[in-house]
Amino acid sequence: MRFKYGMLAPLVAVFIAVVGFPLLYALYLSFTDYKLTDRGAPDLVGFENYLSTFTNPAFWEAFGVTAVYVVVAVGLELVIGLAIALSLQKQKWARDVTRSMLLAPMFITPIAVGLTFRFLLNDQIGAIPELLRGIGISYDFFGPGRALFTLAFIDVWQWTPFMVLLLLAGLESIPKQPLEAARVDGGSPWYIFRRIVLPLLAPVLVVAILLRALDALKVFEYVYATTRGGPGTETQTIQYFTYQTGIQFFRLGEASSMAFVVLAVVLTVIVIAFRRLERNKRA
Amino acid sequence: MRRVSALAVARIALLWAAAIFVLFPLIWIALASFKTPGQLNDPNLVLFSPTFESWQNVLSSGILDAAGRSAIVGLTTVAISVVVGSMGAYVIAKYRAGGTATRFGMLAAQVLPPAVLVFPFLTMAYALRLNDTLVPVIFAHLSFVLPVVTWFLIGFFEAVPRSLEEQARVDGFSRFGAFWRVVLPQVLPGIGAAAIFGFTLSWNDMFYGLILAPGKAAILPVAIAGFNTFRGVQLGSMSAAILIAVIPVVIASFFIQRKLVQGISGGAVKS
Repeated sequence: MRFKYGMLAPLVAVFIAVVGFPLLYALYLSFTDYKLTDRGAPDLVGFENYLSTFTNPAFWEAFGVTAVYVVVAVGLELVIGLAIALSLQKQKWARDVTRSMLLAPMFITPIAVGLTFRFLLNDQIGAIPELLRGIGISYDFFGPGRALFTLAFIDVWQWTPFMVLLLLAGLESIPKQPLEAARVDGGSPWYIFRRIVLPLLAPVLVVAILLRALDALKVFEYVYATTRGGPGTETQTIQYFTYQTGIQFFRLGEASSMAFVVLAVVLTVIVIAFRRLERNKRA
Repeated sequence: MRRVSALAVARIALLWAAAIFVLFPLIWIALASFKTPGQLNDPNLVLFSPTFESWQNVLSSGILDAAGRSAIVGLTTVAISVVVGSMGAYVIAKYRAGGTATRFGMLAAQVLPPAVLVFPFLTMAYALRLNDTLVPVIFAHLSFVLPVVTWFLIGFFEAVPRSLEEQARVDGFSRFGAFWRVVLPQVLPGIGAAAIFGFTLSWNDMFYGLILAPGKAAILPVAIAGFNTFRGVQLGSMSAAILIAVIPVVIASFFIQRKLVQGISGGAVKS
C-alpha cells in the first residue's frame, strides 16, 4: 500500500500544482472584478461576471461560430479519416513511409499551419486561388460567409491524420475471425464494412470524435494567424473571444467566467452523450 | 473479382490524393523560403534560381534563440512528465491505484479550455515577478503534457506481463527495484515514443507562450507569429522560420508513428 501511494504521490502533487490549483484560482478570479491593469487586491463581485457573460450576445455568437466550426471540421475529418485508415490498413508496400508522411501534419505547430494557409490561400499572391482562376473559378477563401469554412478546412488538413491514427489503432485491434467468416460466406466488401467493421469500430469512433471535438473547441492559432476574428465577427471563436476579453481588454475576471461557462456547457454535452451511449448499449 | 480490383484502385487513388494534399503546402513553403520578395508575389512561379536571403534574414533574427528556448521548455516539461508520469502510470496500471477516477481525472484535464488556466498562470507569474520568463510557460505546458504522457504510459505498462515482476520479486528485488530494474527497461521504447509526442505538444503550443512570455523569452511559435506582417520580405523569412519549426518534429514523427498507434490503442482505445 505504501509503495502504491508513494509512487502515485509525485504525479498527484504535480497535477494539483499545474491543474488543480490554477483551476481553483480561476474560479476565484471569475467572482472578482480583477483587471490586469489594477493595483492591489481585486474585489469580490459575486455572480456579476457570469450575469454579464450570459447576457452578452457576442459571447453566444462566438459559441455558435465555434459549434459550426467543430461540426464541419470533425465531420469531414471523420469521413476522410475513416477512408484513409481503411486504405492504409491493407497497404503492404512502403508502409512506414506512407504512414509517417500522412501523419506529418499533426506534428506541425498550428501557428505555422495557419500562416502557411494564409499565404497559400491569399487572394492576390496565393497559389491555390491562382490555380482555381486557371480553371475559371474565382474564390476568395477569407471572404464573408467563407472564412469560417476555410478555417475548418485548415483544421481538416492538420487533424485528419489524428483521426487516421486512432482509427488505424482501432482497425488493427479488430479480431480477424468474424471478418474471415463473413468473407467465406460471400459478403460484399460494403456489407462486411457496414455490418461487421463499423459496429466493432464504434467505441473507437466515439473516442476519436470526442477527443477531436474537444480539441477543435480550443481553436485559436488559425484564427490568430489568418482572420483575427473577421470579416466582422464571423470567425470569432470562443477561445479567441476569451483571449481578447482577458488580454486585449484586460478583463481577467470576466474572461475567467466565460471560460467556466464554456467548461460547463462542454461537460454537459459530454455527460448527455455518454448517457445516450450507455442507453444504446443496453438497448 | 472486378469489384475487388475497383476497390483497390480507389484505395490507391485516395492515398495518392491524400499524399499530394499533405505535401503541397509543405513543398510550397519550402520553395517560398528560397524566393526573393518580388518572386513571392507571383503565384505562378515554380522554376526560379534560389536565393538564401530569407534564410540569412531569419537566422540573424534570433529565431534560433527562440528555438533553443522552445527546446528548453519542451525538454524540462517532458523530463518532469516522464519521471512523475511513469511512476504514477505504473501503479495505476498494475495496482489499480486511484481507480478509474485517477484515470479519467487525467483525461478530464484535456477538456479544460486553456483560457481557464492561463489567467491564473499569468497572475501568479506577475505576483512572483516571473512573467516573460520560461518558468510559467513550463508550468502551463505541464498541465497538458503530463496527462497525455501518463495516459500513454498506462497503456505501455499494462502490456508488460505480470509474471515478469513476480519473477523479479522472487529473485529478491524490492518493489521499487522490480519497477526500476525489470519493468522500466521493458517499456523504454514506449517511454521514448511518449516523450517525443509530449515534446511535440510542448514545441507546438503558442497560446500559453503568447500570453505568459510574449517578449524577450518568446518561444518558437510566438517568434514565428511575429513574422505575421505578411507583406514583402517577411513572407520569405516566415517560410524559413516555419521550416525550422517543422523539420525536427516531422523527422521525430517518422520514428514514433508505430509506437503511437500502440500507445493509443493501449491507453485510450481499450479502456
